[in-house]
Amino acid sequence: MRIDNELAIFLSSPVMTILGTCDAQGSPEIGRGVGARVDSETGVLEVVLSSWQWPGTVANVRNNGRAAVTFARPHDYVTYQVKGRAQIVEPDAQALLLSSRYINDITVVLCQLGLERRQIDHWLTHREPVVVRLPIESVFIQTPGSKAGRLIASAPIQ
Amino acid sequence: MIRLTDLQACFEGVIPSIVATAGADGTPNISYLSQVVRVDDEHIALSNQFFSKTATNIRENPHAAVLIVDAQTGEQYRLAVTFVETRTTGPTFENVKAHIEATAAQEGMAGIFRLFGVDIYHVREIVHISSAALATTGVAERRALRLTDAARVVELIAARTDIDAILEAALDGLQQYFGYENMLLLAQDPIRQVLTTIASRGYEKTGIGSEVPFGDGVASRAASEGRIIRVSDLSRIKRFAAAISGSASDENRTRAIAVPGMPDSMSQIAVPLLAQGRVQGVLFAESRARLAFTSEDEAALNIVARQIAASWMLAERMAGESHEVPAVQLRTEPSDRTFRVTYHAVDDSVFIDDEYVIKGVPGRLLIFFLEACRGGRRDFTNRELRMSATLRLPDIKDNLETRLLLLRRRLEEKRSPVRLVRSGRGRVTLELQGAPVLHRVTS
Repeated sequence: MRIDNELAIFLSSPVMTILGTCDAQGSPEIGRGVGARVDSETGVLEVVLSSWQWPGTVANVRNNGRAAVTFARPHDYVTYQVKGRAQIVEPDAQALLLSSRYINDITVVLCQLGLERRQIDHWLTHREPVVVRLPIESVFIQTPGSKAGRLIASAPIQ
Repeated sequence: MIRLTDLQACFEGVIPSIVATAGADGTPNISYLSQVVRVDDEHIALSNQFFSKTATNIRENPHAAVLIVDAQTGEQYRLAVTFVETRTTGPTFENVKAHIEATAAQEGMAGIFRLFGVDIYHVREIVHISSAALATTGVAERRALRLTDAARVVELIAARTDIDAILEAALDGLQQYFGYENMLLLAQDPIRQVLTTIASRGYEKTGIGSEVPFGDGVASRAASEGRIIRVSDLSRIKRFAAAISGSASDENRTRAIAVPGMPDSMSQIAVPLLAQGRVQGVLFAESRARLAFTSEDEAALNIVARQIAASWMLAERMAGESHEVPAVQLRTEPSDRTFRVTYHAVDDSVFIDDEYVIKGVPGRLLIFFLEACRGGRRDFTNRELRMSATLRLPDIKDNLETRLLLLRRRLEEKRSPVRLVRSGRGRVTLELQGAPVLHRVTS
């Protein structure tokens, strides 16, 4: 599915990235992404994740692929959520570079908001990295307010 | 094993929490939470405002995951939870509602955050998320360290007998062992409905004698509610506006001393000084750092504050025990110098050489001393001050020593030609550099 250019830029910018998955027993899991890129033509999203820090998330994606990823801009809470069926792939050199740059950029953003480096360091690692590749099927606004949860784009039913 | 009670710093509402749910078909959903509240050792409450998908999902599949963050260290914890019920009334609901409304109003977003209910979840498992960051001091360790600090400060305070030394020991101890740099000690005046600064640390001006009206700011709330008020991130919350920006000239015009304050303060804590169920005053501390005061600080300060209050109350009571009236010693002034004292009856304010000194009961005390000294008196006992009809002392008689301390400190700070010296338990001596010329303004 094609992704709006503006949204594609937002998803790749220094925003807080959270992945939601679910195991076979119906227990959800949470993980933090450390860098994302999206091909706006194909709508394929790739998020770098530490399999060392978030093993449950990686296991769930491997098992059933169902994933939701939320992108929230820290200074104004503008938030989008995308959903689809994901798979785990090995990161290429570009993904690792992207992740390093993301960790650096989001650290600056959060420090400007008054958080301290020693706090932020707990959230951002790409130790034992993997890439969650997710062809986007639907996009939702998640910014707090009356529009939260509204579907703004979805892939055609096949 | 990690308990919910150990994770108090995760429930400060400073760093957003996250909830993950899944629908009947296994499709996950993520929502940020404005507030997670610890209900008891096994339950948490999540505010149900916008996340309708979360509400739909938990009715299909009651299992959820919640990610919470220690506001102090940044450490993350994943809670595996199961939905129990939605509450639309009761103390937990009211508590969350009040917090959300207050935060929204302070952010200029009143009315936007409507609370439909609070969802109660049973916590099945708590997992500490591995971190590549350097290990930080654990909760149990922080608590033990603060307890030791509190013991040291309590020891310093308990060794002192007069109010002056008690308050100084408290501030010195908190500075040395707790590392606090900016503090006020305020005495409660229930008659005039104000808190008066009686000692301070870390400000450009001491602010001795400055007043915070009841109902204004965190210190006042701590006094009226008799509980600790802690604010961890003032960038999100309106700063209390008691501070009257002031120079000496303003002081002379307004007859109000500026309350010391930090314009860029980020964290504040106000601790009521409680003894025998009565609030003697408030200990207030602030910092430019976010989250400067932890729940461990709160517990430790509770102990220190009670020792301050008990020692303070005891010192007041002991000071009233000196019944011996000192012999009248007539003295001549050491110099020919005179100084002008103006007394305004309307608010009992006193100016010396046109500089504002003090008002209220301490103002009346000062005039009482200066009038008596014209007959050669220099030494006074608390007992005779209490008995004096002209002083019109309020019915709350056991804080005379505090008012004398306030007057003494204010005279010292103004480098006044008249000084008060404590000459023994329940006794004071007046020292003069020159002769006072008194003017009474009655209109």
